[in-house]
Order: sequence, then structure tokens, then C-alpha cells
Amino acid sequence: MRIVRLLAVAAAVLCGVPAGAAPAADVALVRERLKIAPVLKGEFEQTKTLKGFRNPLVSRGEFLVARGQGVWWHTQQPFETTLVVTSTRLFTRNADGSASDLADAQATPGVQQVNELVFALLAADLDALAARFTLVAQPVGAAGWTLVLTPRDASLAKFLVRATLAGERDVQTVRIEEARGDATLIRFSRQVPSAALAADEAARFR
Amino acid sequence: MSVPAASRPVRRLRWQVAAWLWLACCGVVGVHQWSFWRASHFGTDVMALLPQDEQSPEVGRATRQLADQATRQVVVMVGAPDWASAKKAAAAWEQAAMSSARDETMFTARPPFRRSAMAGDDALRDTLAFYAPYRDRLLTPAQRAQLEGAPPATLLQSALAALAQPGGGFRLADWNADPLALWPQWWLARASETRARPRDGQLALSDAGLEWVVLLEETPGSAFTMSGATPIAHALAQGRAAAIAAVPGARVLAGGVPLHAEYAASRAHLETNTIGWGSIAGVLVLAWLAFRSLWPRLLMAVSLGVGVAMALSATSWVFGEVHLLTIVFGASLVGCAEDYGLYYFASRQGAPAVAPLRMMSTLLPGLALALLTSVLGYLALGLPPFPGLRQMALFSVVGIFGTFVTTVVWFPWIDRGGPGRTRFSDWVGASFARYPRFGATRRTWIVHAALAAACGAGLVALRVNDDLRQLQGSPPALVDAQREIGRLLGVASPAQFFVVRGTSADDVLQREEALKARLDARVTNGELAGYRALSDWVPSRSRQAADAALTKRVEDGVVAGVDQVLGETQQRARFDAPALTLAAWLASPAATAGRALWIGAVPRADDGTGFASVVMLRGVRDLASLPDIARSADGLPGVRWVDQVQSVSALLGRYRRTMSLLLLAGHAAVLGVLAWRYGRRAWRAWVPTALATAGTLALLAAFGQPLQLFNVLALALLLGIGVDYGIFLLERENADAGAAWLSVVLGAASTWLSFGLLALSSTPALHAFGLTLSFGILIVWLVTPLYRPATVPPRKAP
Repeated sequence: MRIVRLLAVAAAVLCGVPAGAAPAADVALVRERLKIAPVLKGEFEQTKTLKGFRNPLVSRGEFLVARGQGVWWHTQQPFETTLVVTSTRLFTRNADGSASDLADAQATPGVQQVNELVFALLAADLDALAARFTLVAQPVGAAGWTLVLTPRDASLAKFLVRATLAGERDVQTVRIEEARGDATLIRFSRQVPSAALAADEAARFR
Repeated sequence: MSVPAASRPVRRLRWQVAAWLWLACCGVVGVHQWSFWRASHFGTDVMALLPQDEQSPEVGRATRQLADQATRQVVVMVGAPDWASAKKAAAAWEQAAMSSARDETMFTARPPFRRSAMAGDDALRDTLAFYAPYRDRLLTPAQRAQLEGAPPATLLQSALAALAQPGGGFRLADWNADPLALWPQWWLARASETRARPRDGQLALSDAGLEWVVLLEETPGSAFTMSGATPIAHALAQGRAAAIAAVPGARVLAGGVPLHAEYAASRAHLETNTIGWGSIAGVLVLAWLAFRSLWPRLLMAVSLGVGVAMALSATSWVFGEVHLLTIVFGASLVGCAEDYGLYYFASRQGAPAVAPLRMMSTLLPGLALALLTSVLGYLALGLPPFPGLRQMALFSVVGIFGTFVTTVVWFPWIDRGGPGRTRFSDWVGASFARYPRFGATRRTWIVHAALAAACGAGLVALRVNDDLRQLQGSPPALVDAQREIGRLLGVASPAQFFVVRGTSADDVLQREEALKARLDARVTNGELAGYRALSDWVPSRSRQAADAALTKRVEDGVVAGVDQVLGETQQRARFDAPALTLAAWLASPAATAGRALWIGAVPRADDGTGFASVVMLRGVRDLASLPDIARSADGLPGVRWVDQVQSVSALLGRYRRTMSLLLLAGHAAVLGVLAWRYGRRAWRAWVPTALATAGTLALLAAFGQPLQLFNVLALALLLGIGVDYGIFLLERENADAGAAWLSVVLGAASTWLSFGLLALSSTPALHAFGLTLSFGILIVWLVTPLYRPATVPPRKAP
């Protein structure tokens, strides 16, 4: 919920981004090694280090990313909560299965752009990210890679210092460093690619 | 009557002194003209022609302030079914529109547009920093309801859930300074004043399946160009063509004050030329036919030049500038002011033996009476409190007076040897004797009864329409595009708003909040998209204090709860700042967004209120619901609904009625003046104009033209001009009636031509004016000789 509100503000200050710049040549390496399946599910562990908090905030759960559909983010620990991001909606799934809208693209202009950004980060959509970030890729060993994203736009840079993605065939970690000193590390595990959504999985985005 | 004047000795010396004095006057005006044309003081703002609110000065100030905000802004929207094509079309638009400047360098050295300065990084950072100390005092209505209503446990859960969500979160404040993330939401509410949102470095919005790119442009200077060139429209057309070439089916909308102003300026340029040169050409042809000499023509041009120069000087001196519509209207003076010169030369031609000076002194009483009635007619234009009409009245009175004096004091000196007769002048003069006239016969009464019936039927059929909107002069395409941009962006309309008065700045803000509480209900049920109010940016002191107490109570609980669950030792941040004041806000960079809403100190009213602000409405779903929305102000002290369109329309109606009564009084007064000079024959000069007035109204009804203030004003002017012809004929009935008739024919023809050309104007008010007068003048011209006295001496043979 908060991420969307904050991202909305971030989007609201996105001005003057030179759009459509081509990714650097070495990004081709990441493209080669990273195999993005149409549907990917797995588990995550997120560690947030927030200014003012003595202990890092750790949460665990399962996720589902479907290209063109959205992101399903189910936190199981320390408590149950589910967030769904699609291109037009953003909602939490309540314990009883009902959905409560946090925002929809028609009523709240800008949500769509925010969703695109969240989606691009979690799904490692290189083309979408290249429009907003400078991408620098590094090979790691024979199959691994890291990709450092630096905001192209000064307004976004006021909030976000950089994001770092690392992985092999799949994205394994995403690290987000914010200008205020907060940092988030997300580790993905047990990823299972598949060609299409199962019926019950597709229902999660509705 | 003219006999004693003719036999009086002419006082040469007095005439000479007057001629030299007038030359000195012209010298002064000439010097002023030189500086006037160097820096052209022409106004194009149509709003400047509308009346100020009669009762409350703050309404006028509010209107001006809201209009000034947008005088240079051009909004262009490029739409396509998907975002990528919209961007592509917008890029093509910008490239073509910006480079069109190069084709136009002969007119403007600068490009027609520059990118509007959007709130840069620094401005945004400054604004956020300015507001940060007051974070705890600022809540949206929804947030206030949520904090008051939700149980503490629920708020704690949502704070914990937010901490667990993926990603960091682009914070605007440390967690302990905003644990419920209320702050970004408050900013989103402020940003909702327009539906446009930044996207990929551009402003964008989506609506009904179309993705739009919003381009904010600014024109570098005044839209007015003396050349009549239209660089903005040219650039827009090029941009549109390029956008559609790049993305077939792309939609391009453009709006903004400069577009309307440029259109008005180019139309005014065209019309001034049409009316001015058309009248001059017409008069030239008539003068050549009548006098077969360009000398009279040249002298009349001089008198007219003097008149127009004086009119320009006087108008710019009194009003500070000359409005373009005044010039368009003033162009019709050509036909009207010529009458004096024509009358003089026609009389000279008829009696070449009489010396110029003696002839002029003979004509002077009649000329002066004609001037007096015309001046009164033009002055009637200035009676309603419309600055535009007053300007036109002053311009015309000074112009006609200047022409008159030039004719009277200079012509006798410059004119050596009157114009010779021509076949045309003889034919016109002789035609007078053959022209039918009404005798006291039965046929006369039957004709008059039929005329009265026709006029009566016309008057019954006449419709009245005072709606200001029918005076809209911009082309429908421009108006439609403007309306659609307003709808898409959801911007506030400057035509209807609430004015809120209070005893102090804080009192104004409190009263705004009372009004907003009522408007919020209408926002909830969808009647309104929202509103713009100062108190959104600076709440009243009491509201700030209440919200600060509320956030402190709730957030202390949330922070303590989170500490307990996560084993932390956080403290809610302290907010020590005193209340945010309007004065501090106005002095800060944050005020850019809403400065125009603050009217400030206004003259103190009886209820002690001396400060005022404006609350604007956004996205009114149905204009028919406006009267209902207006009732939101009922019973709220200091809050008043202002509907510019409606109040100006009401004013137009009120003055249409007043001027109609004054028109009747004017007819009575003119008849009185005529009776004073002509005794029992006076009705012969008056009836033609009275008949023309009734006939014109009937013709307007027949053509389906609604009656409005401008028709009535034209009828007042018709009274002033129309009786001139009767006067000229009565003055010369014993001398050379043929010559007087020649001057009436020439004068009426040129006047008719001028107002006929004015009827072609695309400015609806001027069109109505010109149409009415061209009907009226034509009738007066044809009818006046019908009422001449019975005995007319035949014109002497050459």
C-alpha cells in the first residue's frame, strides 16, 4: 500500500526523462543469460533496513509474475497480506478472498505508470527499465550477471540512488538503495518457470 | 431661417484665428501620434470590453487575476490510441511547430512558442521543504475521516503491513515523522487539480481509450501583430499536419487565450481594412462622379485624417490603449463624418458665385445641428457601463468633432473655386424634383396604415436574446477544442466561481472551509470533479490546530504499537512549528499554485469584511446544475456565487431595456430641438428616422435576428445620423434643394456603405450594429425626400 503511494509521488516528479535510450551493449550479456519465462513463481525473502529502526524488517512469502498480467505478492510472515499489481489496478487480497482496491488507473491518474515501474523492476523487464535507468551489466562467473540501474532523471534520483539486480537464468536478488539511507534486499528462491497461467493462478489477478 | 444667416457680414478675422488655433491643435495631436505609432497601444483582450461588476470590486479583480494567469499560455494535446503513438505524434508536432518559426521570421524574429517553464527540481524541493514542518497540520478530508473513525488496532495493522510490502518506498519524510504515509497522499490530492500526470518526462492523461500528451507552450510576446499575420495559427497548423503525418488518425487539440487573441487581431486587421478602404473607395467613386475633381476628395481625406488622429490620441489618452474593436468600429466613421464635407461641396457646386467663407457661414447652423444630433447619438453608446462601448463612443465623438471642425474652419480657406458640375450631379439634383412626395391624399394614409401594420407585425414577431454567449466571436472549432481541453484536463472554469469574504485572512479561510464541506458532498455524488481553494493549501488556524491534535494522538499510538510489535524504541517526530499563515505561504515558492485565488484586501463592507478569495469549481458534470451548485453558498456568511456569463447577460438585458426607454426619450428630445429651429415643419425631418427605426426592427424580426443591446444602441445612433438628412433638406429648401439632395445622396450612400461593411464583421456585436444601421440608413435615405415640403424651386440651369 505504502509503496504505491510513495511511487505515485515519485512518478509525479518524473520530469524530463529522455525516453527510449538504447540499453548499453553489455546488457546484451544479461539478455543472453537471463531466461524470462512468461510465467514465473517462487518464494521471496525481503530484508528492509530503515532509518530509525534498530532491527531490519524481514518478511517472507511467495510470488507470481505473469508477463502482461501483473505481479502477485503474497507475504506470509510475519503476517498474512497479499498485494496484486496489474496494469490497471492495485489491490490487496483480504483473508476472506475479497479484494479491496487501493487505487485504480481510471480514478487515480498516474497509477498505470507506477504499476509499469513496479512491474518492470520485479519482472526484470529490461526494455522498460532502460527508459528510466542507465543500465550497467557485469558478468559473474560463467553463467551469472549483475545489473546496476541508476536513475536517468534527477527527480527520481532524489528518491532512489540505485537498484541492483543479480542472477543467472533467473533474477536471484534485487537490491534497492534509497537516497534517505533506507535499503531493501529481496532474495528469490525456488523459482519455477511455466508457459502459461493455471486457471486458479489467473484468478488471482481478477 | 437661412436667409438672415446668409445676409450677416462674415467675420473673417474670427474665422482666421479659429483656423490657426485648429492648426496648432493638430500640431499637438501630430506629436502625440508620432509617439503613439512608435509604441502601438492596441488592446486585444475581449474581457477588457466587458463591464466590471457594478456592486463588488473584488469580483472584477478576481476575474482579471484569473485571466492574467493565462494570457500567454497555449495548451496543446496530442491524442492517439496508444501511448507510443501519442508520444510519436507529439514529438512530430513539437518539431514542426517549433521550426515553423523559421518560415515566419519575416513577421516575428522569435519562435511562436517556447516550452512553458514547468516546476523544476529546485521549485519542487523548495516547496516540499517549505511544507515539511507543517506536515502534522495538513490532512485531506478522507484522511481526517479515516483517522477519526478507524479503530487504533486497524491503523496499527496497516502501518505494519506497509512496512512489510515489497520495495523500499520513496519517502517524503522519515518513518517516525509520517508512520501512516499520510503525507504523499496529501500531495496527491493537491496534484489532482489537473488530471495531467507526468509520464516519461511529459504530461499525459488517458481518457476514453485515447492516450494524450499534454504540451504546455507559452507565446513569447503579445499575440497582436500590426501586420495581421498569424504565426501561432500557422505553427499550430504545421504541427497538426506533422502529427497526423507521423501517426494517421492522431487527434490534436489546441487552446489558450493567445489563439483567440490572435484570431481576433487578424480578423480586426482584415475588417478594418475592408471597412476603411471599402468606404474610402466608395466615397472616392461618388466624389469623382459628383465633382469630377479630386480636390474635394483630398480635402475630405484631410478632414477625416485629422478626425481619426484626434480620436486615436484622445482614446489612448483616456483609456491608456485603443482596443482593436474600437478601430474596427471607428472605420465606419469614414462614411459618417464625410457628410459635412459632402454637404459643403455640394452646396458650393450648386451656388458657385457665393464665396467659400460666406457659404460656410450660411451652412454652419445646419451643420452644427447635424453634428449635435450625431454626437448625441454616439454619446448614447457610452451610457451603459461597458468600457468597450465607452471607448467606441469617445473615439467616434472625437473623430466626428475633429472632422467637423476641420471642415468648417479650413475648407473655406483651402477651397479655391468650387467644383464644377457634372452630368451625375445634375442628374441627382434634378431627380429630386421628380422624387415622389407624400401629399395629404387618401393614398398617403393608406400607405401609412399598411406600413404601420407591417411594422407592428414585425415588432410582435421580434425575439429578444441577451445571452452573452451569442457574442462569442471565436470560430466554433476553436471554442470546441477549448471546451474539450477543459474537460480532459479537468481544469477549473474562470467564468463561474465563489467569492469568499471575511474580516481577516484567517476568517476567509474558515468560511472557505464551511463552503468546502458543502461542496465535498457534491464531489462525492459526482456533480463536481473537485474545486480549487486556498484553504486546501493553507487551512485555517483552527483547522490546523484540530488536525495537528488528531495526527498527534493517532500517530503516537501507531508508533508505540509498532515499537511494541517489532521491539523498537522509536519516538514520533516532534512538530514544533507554529501554524502556517497565509502571509508566510504567499511569500514562499509554494504559492505559485494558488496565488491567483487570493484577492487580498478589498474595500471594507458594512459587515466588516475586508479580505476576499476565490473558490473555483473543477469538472462540473452538467452545466444545468450550476444554479443548484450556486445554492451551496446559501446561508454561509461572506460567500457569494459569481457567474460571469449570467451576470453580464443580465446586465445586457437591463441596459437593453434602459436604452430602449432612452431611445424613446431621445426621439422626443430630437423632435424638440428640431421644433425649436424649424417650428411646425420639424416633423418632416423627424418622421423618416422614426419610420426607419420601426422599419428596422420589423426587418430584424423578418431576418430572424434577435434584439439585443447592440441593436438598440445602433438605433440610437441612427437617430443621430438619420435626422441629419432631414436637416440638410429643410435648411436648403429655399436655396438650392437639388444641391442639398446631392449631399444627402452622397452622404447616405457612403454612410450606408460603411455600416454595410461593418455588418460583415465576424464580431457578433459589431455585426448586429452594422446590420441595424445599414437597414436604418437605407430606409432614412429612401424615405426622407417623401416628406419634403410641397414647394421646391427647380434647380437653375447651368
